[in-house]
Amino acid sequence: MNEQLLAAVTQYGAPALFGIVAIAAVGVPLPITLLLIVVGSMVSQGAMDIRWAVGAASAGSVLGDQAGYAIGRWGGSAAVAKLSGLFGKKASIEAMEAKARAWGGPGIFLTRWLLSPLGPWINFASGTAGYPWHQFLLWDIAGEITGAAVYISLGRIFSDSVIQLDGVLGDVTYAVAAAIVAIFLGYQLVRAIRQRRTPRPGATPSTNAPSRTTGTPFTST
Amino acid sequence: MTDNWRRTLAIGLAFVLAIGGAFLFASRASHRAHRFVSADEPIHGWMSIPFIAHTHHMPASVLFQAIGVEPLQPRDHRSVRHIARELNRPVREVIAQLQSAIDAASQPPGGAPR
Repeated sequence: MNEQLLAAVTQYGAPALFGIVAIAAVGVPLPITLLLIVVGSMVSQGAMDIRWAVGAASAGSVLGDQAGYAIGRWGGSAAVAKLSGLFGKKASIEAMEAKARAWGGPGIFLTRWLLSPLGPWINFASGTAGYPWHQFLLWDIAGEITGAAVYISLGRIFSDSVIQLDGVLGDVTYAVAAAIVAIFLGYQLVRAIRQRRTPRPGATPSTNAPSRTTGTPFTST
Repeated sequence: MTDNWRRTLAIGLAFVLAIGGAFLFASRASHRAHRFVSADEPIHGWMSIPFIAHTHHMPASVLFQAIGVEPLQPRDHRSVRHIARELNRPVREVIAQLQSAIDAASQPPGGAPR
């Protein structure tokens, strides 16, 4: 199916691009990064106007994101669970809701382009968590225009290496995602170690356990 | 071993895995980025002939000629798959023919150096 979608964009241009990115933004797994890079290459060949390309990609993505938000807001967790099962991706909506609350606007912005695989889930979660719509719309538009401009420009610059550029960008996305997870886990690890070292208030020390100050030269007098 | 210890150990292991994953993907991205300029772009069925010609720095007319197709005017955006269907030929065969034309065009005059 991916080949047919890419062929549709090379053949029909901006209208096909608009429709495909809108469908992907609702949560259907489609190769959007590759698609935008290919569009960038088409722009460099003079087969598409850059304003139309960025406009169609941004508008289609925003439309799909708004549909995802509306499903979360008015359909609730049950509708989201049903939809995620339909696309073969079961995600914990509670975990995503927590992420949407914790990350807020910058999280919405970054998941439009840098961490795009999380985008559809953040849309649903922002809806179910009741994130203010006008703020969601603002961050969404900013993120989608940035994403479309970045990937189409990269495709334009590296117009003769689109497949290889897609491979590099895929690895960069996973590296960034893994680094974010590592930072989060590192924070959790430090907290867990600190909790173990700090004695609980009111807890009586065990008679068998050695004293914390025993053997240290800096005992208070 | 207490539950608290097990939890700390699990977080520690996940942390090491995440660090490893970040380094693995970053090094793979760097490795790919270093060689992608010199590497040849593969041909796929969704690509149009002008698109393939652009990625291989050669005129589209040479590729159209190689597969025996008259290009549509003013611009032929048909994919290789689409053209293969019109010609009633397997996509793989058309791709192989295009690849041969690209290889022939990239060789220096007089054949490949010994």
